[in-house]
Amino acid sequence: MRDAFSTTLVDLAKNDERVLLLTGDHGYALFDEFRKQCPSQYINAGIAEQNMVGMAAGLARLGFRPFVYGLSAFVPVRVLEQIKLDVAHDDLPVVFLGDGAGFVYSHLGTSHQSTEDIACTRTIPNMVVMSPCDRFEMAACMRLAYESAKPVYLRMGKSDRGDVHTAPVTGLAVGDLVKVKSGANSGITLVATGSMVKTALAVAADHDLSVWSVPSIKPIDEDTVVRIAKDTKGVVVLEEHSVYGGLGSCIAEITSERSPVKVLKVGVADRFSEHCGTYDYLLEEHGIDAVTVKRKVDAFIHDVDAR
Amino acid sequence: MTSVATSTRFAPAALRKTVLEMAFHGATVHIGCAFSIIELLSVLYRNHLHYPGGNPDAEDRDYLVLSKGHGVMAQYACMVELGWLEHEKHVKGYFKNGSDLKGLSDSRVKGLEVTSGSLGHGFSVAVGIALGLKKKNSSRKVYVIVGDGEINEGPIWEGMLFAAHHKLDNLMLIVDKNGFQAMGKTDEVIALGDLGAKLRSFEFSTLEIDGHSEAAVDAAVRSLWADGTSLPKAIVANTVKGKGVPFMEHDNRWHYTRLNQETFERAISALGSGAGELK
Repeated sequence: MRDAFSTTLVDLAKNDERVLLLTGDHGYALFDEFRKQCPSQYINAGIAEQNMVGMAAGLARLGFRPFVYGLSAFVPVRVLEQIKLDVAHDDLPVVFLGDGAGFVYSHLGTSHQSTEDIACTRTIPNMVVMSPCDRFEMAACMRLAYESAKPVYLRMGKSDRGDVHTAPVTGLAVGDLVKVKSGANSGITLVATGSMVKTALAVAADHDLSVWSVPSIKPIDEDTVVRIAKDTKGVVVLEEHSVYGGLGSCIAEITSERSPVKVLKVGVADRFSEHCGTYDYLLEEHGIDAVTVKRKVDAFIHDVDAR
Repeated sequence: MTSVATSTRFAPAALRKTVLEMAFHGATVHIGCAFSIIELLSVLYRNHLHYPGGNPDAEDRDYLVLSKGHGVMAQYACMVELGWLEHEKHVKGYFKNGSDLKGLSDSRVKGLEVTSGSLGHGFSVAVGIALGLKKKNSSRKVYVIVGDGEINEGPIWEGMLFAAHHKLDNLMLIVDKNGFQAMGKTDEVIALGDLGAKLRSFEFSTLEIDGHSEAAVDAAVRSLWADGTSLPKAIVANTVKGKGVPFMEHDNRWHYTRLNQETFERAISALGSGAGELK
């Protein structure tokens, strides 16, 4: 996934000299290729994220196409006001790449963990929020982010969970939900984003459920969401993000207005990580590992059927 | 280029009168913040800022970034002179429901480059513009006005480090050192110490001047651009909050106080005949 990110960025930059990469002194090996191939388009802004985002706004005003890279705990969360005021207010074409979203930095603690970034960016007018699940969606989202010429937050979570798609994702438009598994059982449907799409697939296998991936959280094609809601008795939304304000909230907002359906939000409860450990350990601590999710889904199926 | 001494364009008293009219008609605040930057803006607009075809959006323009958005009425006053704003609509109609001009800088208004007022934003945008102009091999200049209170904000210092490291000698930071911030004197809130020395230590080519002397402002701008160094430039403009109306000078209440008919008339008459007749 990170390779797809780097390769696509290099490709975009080589084809458009307006593309600039700004980093807040992060991405040590990730940008080797970019620095080699497009040295004049690489700007290390130093450990100064607020200034970096302001500068990106200035560069975008002059017609450049800045991609601003940081860990998602810092970009977008630390610099949210700069994103709102300097960039989104004027609908400037700046792409924010938030790496390591969720619990990727499981051993480093709260400072480097990020489970509020979608909620933060989703409420800012003009912002597009993307969250690809594998290398194919990543490449497609990078191109969409570039082509949209909008302020975009592109969330990059756990990147080594393997492919969801079997081939490059073509024809993806901003707002599209992507069906990644058709199940015979329409009792409930799983809707997931980022790293949790793999988890959804693992859980869906047991009950032959359908799974949708959501690479574009805002905007989102509401009609597809409504169609999903109409075709099922319950929707399970999975995300490595707070249950407040993320994809689960988004689906609940749409369905409650247009096609009420029971929604189970599988995500991070209103709490910080307590302990240190591996990524898998931390998912377990927060109850979003595959085993716990399966248990929640089983209970939800029972609940929905029992109504 | 018009000489400082003979031009009546952007006459400070006339600009202050426009600010007073806006503040009166709009029943708004921040008069003191606007008055301290009047001569700075007057000299920049009259002698230095280049807008091809008089177009505020011209691609090949100089950039004036008002990072201290609280002084925006001073910039509006200049924009009225430039014909970018209309006296009847924008001065007398200031703060009317549905109007465009806000109490702080908003970049959607033609002629204003940034949205500011939340402090410490415009400077970084200006650094980005300066960097972008370099990348485009443009010789245009970027002027960015920050308040001395605003310098409390961290991104200012981040941006200064970046500008010096990247030798952005097309960037001029102008500090409106009026000695006050919202709650009191800067020396009593967060003292800046020797600001000139701080800027020099950040490798800005720096001059400290009387920010209300048009000749001094003009000379400083010219000499900094011609200093022969690749350093970014800085002017510490020693100014007076509320300058031009004696009962407002050095009185921080005019950060917050609204004019009534009586104070409005007193303020206008204090400006003297140089301000011209009320429209």
